[in-house]
Amino acid sequence: MHFHKPISLDEAIALLAGDAGAMPLAGGATLVAMMNAELIEPNALVSLGAIDELKAVKSAAGGDVRIGAMVSHTELATSEQLVGGHAVVRRAASLIAHPTVRNIGTIGGAVAHGDPSSDLLPALVAADAVIEAAGSAGRRDIAAEDFFEDYLTTTLAEGEVVAAVRLPKSPVGATGVYEKFTRVHGDYATLSVAVMLAMKGGNCSFVRIALGAAGPKPIRVKAAEALLIGSELDGEAIAAASQLLAEASDPVDDVRGSADYRLILVPRLLSRALANARSQVEGAA
Amino acid sequence: MSGEVDITLMVNGEEQVLSVPASRTLLAALRDDLELTGTKNACSQGVCGACTVLVDGMQVNACLLLAVNTDGCKITTIEGLGEGGKLSVVQQAFVDSGAIQCGFCMSGMIVSATALLAENPNPSRDEIRQALSGNLCRCSGYVRVVNAVLLASERRGA
Ligand SMILES: Cc1cc2nc3c(=O)[nH]c(=O)nc-3n(C[C@H](O)[C@H](O)[C@H](O)COP(=O)(O)OP(=O)(O)OC[C@H]3O[C@@H](n4cnc5c(N)ncnc54)[C@H](O)[C@@H]3O)c2cc1C
Ligand code: FES
Ligand code: FES
Repeated sequence: MHFHKPISLDEAIALLAGDAGAMPLAGGATLVAMMNAELIEPNALVSLGAIDELKAVKSAAGGDVRIGAMVSHTELATSEQLVGGHAVVRRAASLIAHPTVRNIGTIGGAVAHGDPSSDLLPALVAADAVIEAAGSAGRRDIAAEDFFEDYLTTTLAEGEVVAAVRLPKSPVGATGVYEKFTRVHGDYATLSVAVMLAMKGGNCSFVRIALGAAGPKPIRVKAAEALLIGSELDGEAIAAASQLLAEASDPVDDVRGSADYRLILVPRLLSRALANARSQVEGAA
Repeated sequence: MSGEVDITLMVNGEEQVLSVPASRTLLAALRDDLELTGTKNACSQGVCGACTVLVDGMQVNACLLLAVNTDGCKITTIEGLGEGGKLSVVQQAFVDSGAIQCGFCMSGMIVSATALLAENPNPSRDEIRQALSGNLCRCSGYVRVVNAVLLASERRGA
C-alpha cells in the first residue's frame, strides 16, 4: 500500500485522480477498522491530515458557519461557534461513540461514509447544510438533503473529496436539539431525531426535522413540518407529524432494534425533542 | 512512497525511528516493533478501549490510527506514565482502590483517566464515567474504577 500526506487540497485531488485504487484517509475510525477486519485493502491512502484548509471552523458574516472536513467530532462537540439552531450539530457530535473515537473521527469522514445511523447526518439535514465537494473537475455545492442517496452511498463522484460543510444562518431565536436513543451509552442510534425549532407567541414559527437510523438515508418530510408550523406543538399536531415521518421511514431490523420498534420510537423521540427545544427557546426568550 | 516507510515517533519521551509498512497500525508498531506490550489489542475496531494511548496528549484508540499517519507525534503509553521507576498517582490509586482484576483493560483505563485528570482535575463520578465510557472492562463492574479515579483526583490535589 502506498501512503501520501499532501499539504494542499489540490495535491490530494491530483493524487486521488491519478490512482483509481486510492482512498482518502480522514480520522480512520471507519477506514482503518475496515482494513483491520480485512474488508478493504486500498492500493493507496491519501491522508487529509496535513491540509490546513480543512481544519478550521469559521463563522462568516451573515451567520453562516463553514466547517472544514477534518474538524473532529470533539472539536464540533465543544465548538462555541455552533450556537442557536446550529447547536443541533454540536449536540449530535457530542453523542457520537466515546471520547477516544470523537478525538479521531471527522465530519468529512462521517459525511463521505454516508452511514444513515451516523449522528451527524440527520443533524446536517436539520441544519439545511451544504456539502462542499472538490475534485479534478472543480468545486461544487450539494444540499445535504440531496447528498445522501442510500446506505453508505452519496453523490460524491470517484476521486471527489468533501472539503467542507456549510451551515446557512439559522433563523433568529432558533435552537437545535438532538435526541438519540441507544441500547447502551455510546452505541450507534436505534433511532435519532434532529430538530431545529423557533417559536413565536406560543406557536411554532419554524421547524426542520430529520430522523437518523430510520431508513437508508436521513428522513425528512416537509409536509410533517408544515403540520407543526403555526401549531402550539400540541399532542395532536405532533402525532400527525410523527405519522407522516413514520410512513416515510424504512428502517432495518438489526441488533439495535427491530424495524417495528424503531417506528414506535418515532413519536416518542419527536415529542421529547420538540419539548426540549421548546423549553430552550422559551427559556431564552 | 510504498513498501516500508520511515517514521519518527516520540514515544514516552524517547525518539524512535522506525521503518513500517504503510498499513501498520500505531498499536502494532508499539507492540510488535517497539515491544511496548502494555498497550493491549482486543478488538482492533475501536470498540473496547484496551489500546488507548495519548497522541499529542489526546486519548485515542491506537488500533484505529496508522503509524505512518502519526509520524512526528508525541505518544504516551502506559509504560510512560510512571516516573523514576515509581507508579504514577493514577496507577497507584488504581492499585490501592482494588480496581484491577484480570488487568487486561487497565492500561487503557488508566491512560483515559490520566487524560481526564489533565483536563479536569476534579471530575464528578458522572464525568469520570463519561470519560471512561470507551473503555470496556469484563471483570470489575466499574465501581472501583470510578473510586480509583476519584482517589487519584484527591491525591493530586493534596
Ligand atoms: C467504535 C466506533 C463507534 C462509533 N460510533 C458512532 C456513533 O455512535 N455515531 C456516529 O455518528 N458515528 C460513530 N462512529 C463513526 C465515527 O465517528 C466516524 O464518523 C467515522 O469513523 C468516519 O470518520 P473518519 O474521519 O474516521 O473517516 P475515515 O474512517 O477516515 O473515512 C471513512 C470513509 O470516508 C472516506 N473519506 C474520509 N474523509 C473524506 C473526505 N473528506 N472526502 C471524501 N471521502 C472521505 C474514506 O475514504 C472512507 O471511505 C463510530 C466509529 C467507531 C470506530
Ligand atoms: S483494540 Fe483498539 S479499541 Fe479495542
Ligand atoms: S480487569 Fe479484567 S477486563 Fe477489566
